[in-house]
Amino acid sequence: MKKFPVTPYLLLLPSMIYLVLFFAYPMVQSLQLALRREGQFLHLRAEPAPEAAPVGTLEMQTEVRILDRLRTEEVLPNGRTRPIYWFQVEAEDAAGSTVQGWVSQSNVFIESRTESTTARVVSGETTQEWTLDFLRRMVTDFRFGSALGTTILLIALILPLQFVLAIVMALVLQSQIRGSTIFLYIFTLPLGISDLASGILWYSIFTQRGFLNSFLVSTGLLDQPFIFIQAGNQGWMIAAIVLAEVWRATSIVMVIVVSGLQAISRDVIEAGEVFGANLWQRLRYIILPMLKPSLQVALILRTILAFQVFAVVVALTGGNVITVLANETYRWYDPARFNNPNVAASYAGFIMLLSLGISMFYLRAVRSQEEAEKAL
Amino acid sequence: MTGRTYEQSKPLMTPAQTAALDAQRSRAKLGHNLRRGGTYALAIILAIWILLPIWLITTMAFSTPTDVRAFPKHFFPIPFSTQTLDFFLNTQGILNSTLNSLVVALLALVISTALAIPAGYAIARYLFPGRDAIRLGILSVRAFPIVVLAVPLAVVFIRLGMFDKVHSLAMMHAALTLPTTILVVASVFTSVPREFEEAAQIFGCTRMQAFWRVVLPLAVPGIAAAAILTFVLSWNEVFAAILLTITNRTLPAQILYTLDKSGDPFKFAGGFFMLVPSLIFIFFIRRYLFNMWGQITK
Repeated sequence: MKKFPVTPYLLLLPSMIYLVLFFAYPMVQSLQLALRREGQFLHLRAEPAPEAAPVGTLEMQTEVRILDRLRTEEVLPNGRTRPIYWFQVEAEDAAGSTVQGWVSQSNVFIESRTESTTARVVSGETTQEWTLDFLRRMVTDFRFGSALGTTILLIALILPLQFVLAIVMALVLQSQIRGSTIFLYIFTLPLGISDLASGILWYSIFTQRGFLNSFLVSTGLLDQPFIFIQAGNQGWMIAAIVLAEVWRATSIVMVIVVSGLQAISRDVIEAGEVFGANLWQRLRYIILPMLKPSLQVALILRTILAFQVFAVVVALTGGNVITVLANETYRWYDPARFNNPNVAASYAGFIMLLSLGISMFYLRAVRSQEEAEKAL
Repeated sequence: MTGRTYEQSKPLMTPAQTAALDAQRSRAKLGHNLRRGGTYALAIILAIWILLPIWLITTMAFSTPTDVRAFPKHFFPIPFSTQTLDFFLNTQGILNSTLNSLVVALLALVISTALAIPAGYAIARYLFPGRDAIRLGILSVRAFPIVVLAVPLAVVFIRLGMFDKVHSLAMMHAALTLPTTILVVASVFTSVPREFEEAAQIFGCTRMQAFWRVVLPLAVPGIAAAAILTFVLSWNEVFAAILLTITNRTLPAQILYTLDKSGDPFKFAGGFFMLVPSLIFIFFIRRYLFNMWGQITK
């Protein structure tokens, strides 16, 4: 029997550990952040001692009345002693019933340990509980619906344009005109351009004193610049985002389509030509069906990336009137704004969930492509 | 040769038939030329669609700040000036964040390449139980919105005292590109013939030596392309960057953060400045593009 191969696993191990650390672990953390809340409760004790049996529980900031106090002494490492007070208190717990018990001075805020008759609970034990509050907060936030709607609207507008354009570009490159390497270089230029840079580029076109207005006014089509990007012009803002994204992200689709086209044997297409199929018929009945696996993969890849669309929206519109899911994630997380990592994690989880659904399709597409390859 | 002798010995067509055929042929040729011309026109229109925005932002970057604010705008950088770019580069925080971006991108490149080389080699050269599952796993991780994991990672980093550090962000970016890099590196190793390695082993190399002296040198260009890809992804990435850093911002994070407080000259020069490395990047890896994405889609 052949020896069980250890080497490949050893070679893969560092990468796998790395992916678990930076992928699986944060994913679990994300769910925890979104679904678990840290709570603090103070247990009242039957006796003035930390290990005494709990007789009641108080929430933070509860006002307590002091019934009795006990001075104990703690011996410090240097041999000196310092006083520690225990208070017997009475207060209302979360359920509204009155409870009595002992608390240590370290858990309450008190003006004077010897004089005051009231105190306030400031610390206790940390507990964790499952909660849907953060999810509820996300869903009921008035910007949630608009963020989700805009994200989906953008996907619905961008993807079809992108795919038509990518297929046209790929066919142009495949037609083997002279200089096609130069065209290939030009068509793939946006591959390395960030969404932020692309947003700024298109901002320079659509802004009030931008190139589009410059063109329209200097050719006399408009008398004065039209303000495309402003609160009342959501349509134009969406259009600007769509153009910027189509401009930037079509290249990746095109590259996938071109690799798919290269896999189609020329004989098949030529056979179609010989039998008198025109360009549209060849496209419709030969090329597109054979491209299907590549198109599916590209479609899913683009959809998942489109759920994360962020910088282009902020760069073009400021991210206030028009908002998307990733932008809301950032707004909730941002220490300078909502500073609420829990709701941000809910958004992150929501985006993950949406993408997970898409990934299912992705895997199916991968399988169908592998089957298609086997069949060829 | 034989065809010509056949034609000479036995004319097939009458002159009228030849003329009709010629007419048909020239019509076909005209149609062909028209189609070719149409394809050219389409190619040029598409090229203009891609190049125009790049040209416009370049115009802005090389105009004086006064011209950048002017209306209507010039479509050419006349008068030519580097004032706008100078202003951008001398804005507080830009030099620093550019350095941060470079450090983050280089670190991410080193981490991701160092991890991907052994993993890619294992996938390319060994058959072992679970190989397909691991490949599929890597593929699905690639299709996962890893960027949103920046939210929990920020919380973890704060707890571990790793928040707002350049190397923490680099580690995140390396995780972001690792799946892609593994797949690309695997495809590069697959393209190196196994016979070379076997020959080296026959001549007395150990498997390790064969890898170092024969396989790796042949794979270097492809691995370099994958590494450049990692660099650009990290250089471009803004969402994780803006969540994981505050004082040590990278260039895109810094620009995005100051966007609503800054004027057009700053924005446009910044856009241009971020653009330049990507244009160079495509030039260097264009040979490997289809190799890369062809592999990734599988």
